[in-house]
Amino acid sequence: MKLVVAGKGGSGKTSISGTMARLLGRSGHTVLAIDGDSNPNLALTLGIPAERMDSLPTLSRDMLERSAEGTRLKMSLEEVCATHSVPGPDNVSLLVMAHPRHAGTG
Amino acid sequence: MHATVRSVIEAHSDAPEDVCILDTEASPEHLSRGTAQYAETMLVVVEPYYKSLETGRRMSLLGKDLGIPRVALVANKLRDERDRAAVTEFAEANGLEIAGFVPFDDTLPGAERAGEAPLDFAPDTAAVAAIDEIAQREAGGNGRA
Repeated sequence: MKLVVAGKGGSGKTSISGTMARLLGRSGHTVLAIDGDSNPNLALTLGIPAERMDSLPTLSRDMLERSAEGTRLKMSLEEVCATHSVPGPDNVSLLVMAHPRHAGTG
Repeated sequence: MHATVRSVIEAHSDAPEDVCILDTEASPEHLSRGTAQYAETMLVVVEPYYKSLETGRRMSLLGKDLGIPRVALVANKLRDERDRAAVTEFAEANGLEIAGFVPFDDTLPGAERAGEAPLDFAPDTAAVAAIDEIAQREAGGNGRA
């Protein structure tokens, strides 16, 4: 299942998406949570300490190649996750699109 | 950045037991550039007041325009029956679906202060139970457990 959780800042969307990710992991799903907002809150909501995020390489456009759809990943998603995601509790891993200090450079 | 997100979601497994959750502010720019193009479901989190509902309505329309098969509201921070009725009325008037209702949770600020996940800080709240119900329903009970 591919799910987007959207909402205004302050609506509680990150608490909801993070909690949902953990609960789905607990019920036997393999969950990839993607932080599309360049803020560290999803990590905290998942129970991943903020300092774990500091050493994480960000996803960059170098990982993409042209395709009929526009772009696609050059490598498999598993390979991307192996180097770019952080494992969290309950079988959830987290992929962050860009760190706040890199925001806008992706 | 948008191309990267889109490519990751596209590459993610379609198997029902594999879940990919994208948390996004979902500005019109994000969505119109196709970030959510490969998503099956978009949940739009709203609070029970007009400005939030109106933003949620616009986000929902964007999601539908993008062709996301299921777009539904999650009503959050509900303090009483009146809040619930306000969201229900708004959704009905605008032809929007509601995926579920989450009550106001006063343990959240405490979790934030402690730097902990809401689920670890206070796992037995009514809000967590409501979120669980929504999550399992959306996932269609496809967990391995």
